[in-house]
Amino acid sequence: MFDVALAEAGAQVPIATSSDENFPPENIIDGKSETFWATTGLFPQEFIITFTALMSLEQIKINCYQVKGLAMERSIENEPVNFEPMCEKELCPSDASLQMEEFSGENSSAKHLKFVIKSGYDHFVSVHKVCVNGMASRE
Amino acid sequence: MPVTLRAKCLIVGDSAVGKSALTQVFHSDGAHFPKGYSMTVGVELCVKNISIPDTNDTVELYIYDTAGKETYSDYAQQAWEHPSVMMVVMDVTNENSFMACNRWVERVKAKAGQHIPGVFVANKTDLEGRRVVERNKAEEFAKGKGLEYFECSAKEQNNTDAPFYYLANAYYKLYQERVEVMKTIAS
Ligand SMILES: Nc1nc2c(ncn2[C@@H]2O[C@H](COP(=O)(O)OP(=O)(O)O)[C@@H](O)[C@H]2O)c(=O)[nH]1
Ligand SMILES: [Mg+2]
Repeated sequence: MFDVALAEAGAQVPIATSSDENFPPENIIDGKSETFWATTGLFPQEFIITFTALMSLEQIKINCYQVKGLAMERSIENEPVNFEPMCEKELCPSDASLQMEEFSGENSSAKHLKFVIKSGYDHFVSVHKVCVNGMASRE
Repeated sequence: MPVTLRAKCLIVGDSAVGKSALTQVFHSDGAHFPKGYSMTVGVELCVKNISIPDTNDTVELYIYDTAGKETYSDYAQQAWEHPSVMMVVMDVTNENSFMACNRWVERVKAKAGQHIPGVFVANKTDLEGRRVVERNKAEEFAKGKGLEYFECSAKEQNNTDAPFYYLANAYYKLYQERVEVMKTIAS
């Protein structure tokens, strides 16, 4: 089992709805929670993580700040299209520290994961790290 | 690469105070003051980019010009959700429009559920002889509500851009402050 959402492992963030070059979406997959992607206003906000291959997902962890409504979707296509809902959750507010949430991947397979931030506790939110434990799917 | 922030600017106040006139004059860079009165039905949306001085950054303002009435259409309701900044407008020749502002401010604040930058705009200053709301009273109200105060005339296109620029800059400042907090929290 590896973190398959690392840039080092070949993962990418091909699409994100906000871009401030000081806080780019690549910061989500650099393995560090000090660096982050900042949203630049309004909701929903989305980003997609693309794996090197179809993966079987065991667990998904996200470190973020001021995120309220969060939904995840997966796609098994080569291109990031035809997403299906996986789960949705309202995160607890946490003023003084990062939010850390874990989701079971239920061993479903995905080539792309889409994160939809539907609302926030502030005008701007940040995503510091996404860690996806999984392995190449045998299908 | 410059940054573009996006903000939802909600414009509220009684009917006929000049909300649509202010919005249209600003949106058209002064090319268009609507001469005839046409009542806004529900909400009208327009978008305008504002450059932040001394940077290459911009704030994209999504301006929601609301009707000065309660409306119940889904679209109008949606427009009220999660405002980023607010503009509360009164007509200096209409005391009632001033009295109503407290209710407008509180309604937007309740919708926002958090601090949002705001301005209080006293419009129609061109109608000097008919003015009934004194400047110091209006200013005092604005201060009490934490709003920046502006006087303007949409008709004469006098000072109409200033409140919008103020809001864009206040929002930009908020972003910079929040990003500093994010850095601190993460380290
Ligand atoms: N004299 C004067 N009339 C104005 C001014 N701004 C708007 N009006 C007029 O006031 C009426 C109502 O304006 P409107 O923008 O539709 O108000 P709204 O209902 O708040 O959107 C219209 O007849 C406008 O032409 C102003 O600055 N001075
Ligand atoms: Mg109107």
